[in-house]
Amino acid sequence: MTASKIISDSPVRPTEADSELLASAQAAALATRDLYQAAVAAGATGDHTATFVSLAAHHDAYAQAISSLIGRAAPQARDDELFSANKSDFESDATTAALAAHTLENSLVAAHTELVGALEGTEGAALIASMVVIESRHVVALATIAGKSPVGDIDLFLVTPEAAQADAQTTTPVA
Amino acid sequence: MSNSNREELQAFSKIVKATQGADFGPALQSSLSRRRFFIAGGATISFGALLAACGGTTDTGIARIGDSPEKTELVDAPVTDIALLRTATSLEHNAIFVYETVAAAGLLSGDAATLAARFLSDHKAHAEATASLTEKLGGKAYNEPNPRLQSIYIEPALRLITGDDASGIPVTEDPIADVLALAYALETIAGSTYQVYVPMLADASLRSAAIGIGEQEARHAAVIGSLLNPSRLVSTFGLSIAAEYQEETDVPAAAYAVPSAFGTKAPVPVVLGAPDESGIRTSLNLETPSLNSMVYEYVDGE
Repeated sequence: MTASKIISDSPVRPTEADSELLASAQAAALATRDLYQAAVAAGATGDHTATFVSLAAHHDAYAQAISSLIGRAAPQARDDELFSANKSDFESDATTAALAAHTLENSLVAAHTELVGALEGTEGAALIASMVVIESRHVVALATIAGKSPVGDIDLFLVTPEAAQADAQTTTPVA
Repeated sequence: MSNSNREELQAFSKIVKATQGADFGPALQSSLSRRRFFIAGGATISFGALLAACGGTTDTGIARIGDSPEKTELVDAPVTDIALLRTATSLEHNAIFVYETVAAAGLLSGDAATLAARFLSDHKAHAEATASLTEKLGGKAYNEPNPRLQSIYIEPALRLITGDDASGIPVTEDPIADVLALAYALETIAGSTYQVYVPMLADASLRSAAIGIGEQEARHAAVIGSLLNPSRLVSTFGLSIAAEYQEETDVPAAAYAVPSAFGTKAPVPVVLGAPDESGIRTSLNLETPSLNSMVYEYVDGE
């Protein structure tokens, strides 16, 4: 056993600036939830309805967790721009919906990775980090549903596209 | 124990045996005769003299047995960013060790071997990245497997897979399945470790770098999960969704591409090796490095 103490003087609770960033993340989570639900409602999910329903539930859980963290600063409303930009792809067929969701989840991974570094409070950073490690798994599940090969198309499973990373670095974290 | 101490202890034992016949209990309960009083007193004085001789050089006024060792102060080991990065690098080397060992033993073939080679390459890149960050902070990179995790998780797990004649451990019946199960648990723990480190890192700019690596480890785990459990990619356990979408079992599978809504810090169980005579296989619980598994700045690696 070693005498150990953690060295960090970061604030624990979200700062005012954090709350703005987390509010934006909540709007994106709600838009993503609604997109998965739209795909299910449109009958576009084929044999993968349970997966889409589960992914919708995950993003709903993210929105609720952010809400519990920032309270009244949470918008409790989806990002309509994000929703509208993806709605038609999510409502088409299982493969198209899975590929659209794959792109969206990759962009969330990139944006949230940046967001983790932008947040001052450790509670917010810890929450977003716990979302990122699962959103990255969403990407893998969606690539599988889209019929991609984990060997032949391995980068679709393992790599966050440069475009998504560039977007995340040049725009307000998520988005 | 030194020879002189052993001799003193033997002498002490003789005195104890010699005085056992004195039968102090009944004597004290009734009346302590003068003769017995002197017998008991003499024995006490003998004990006192012996114990005083056995004690340390400092006279505390209280007789004790044996030498008093010098007090060892705990090493001051704060969990600095450098310590966290060194531990992360060490964990990458645990993974590198596993994939290199598996490749050298020829345990995987085909697509599984191709994926393992890719994961190995990624872990080498991650180890270089965390080592580089360590040095940028003025620390010394730790380019070896985490010694504690290696001894309590990695080596026992590999012995269960490859067998160990000296320990009487047979080779597992399905090495490919066991290697994938171990890799799934290891990659999950690697991702969780970076997640856990995010709020612990004092430098906020390092947090993005950490979770950027952690999400890649999670992807590795998800790919393996999709191979081990292709019929159910996303676990529904714990989700508030309609019953028709829930899994038709009360027991979660061992692996999922997506096991939960949030990344957890929970241990990851993995079942490995050949069954014993009762048909039971060994279960290990892999956990993120705790405070006594960290590679603090005072720990030398070479």
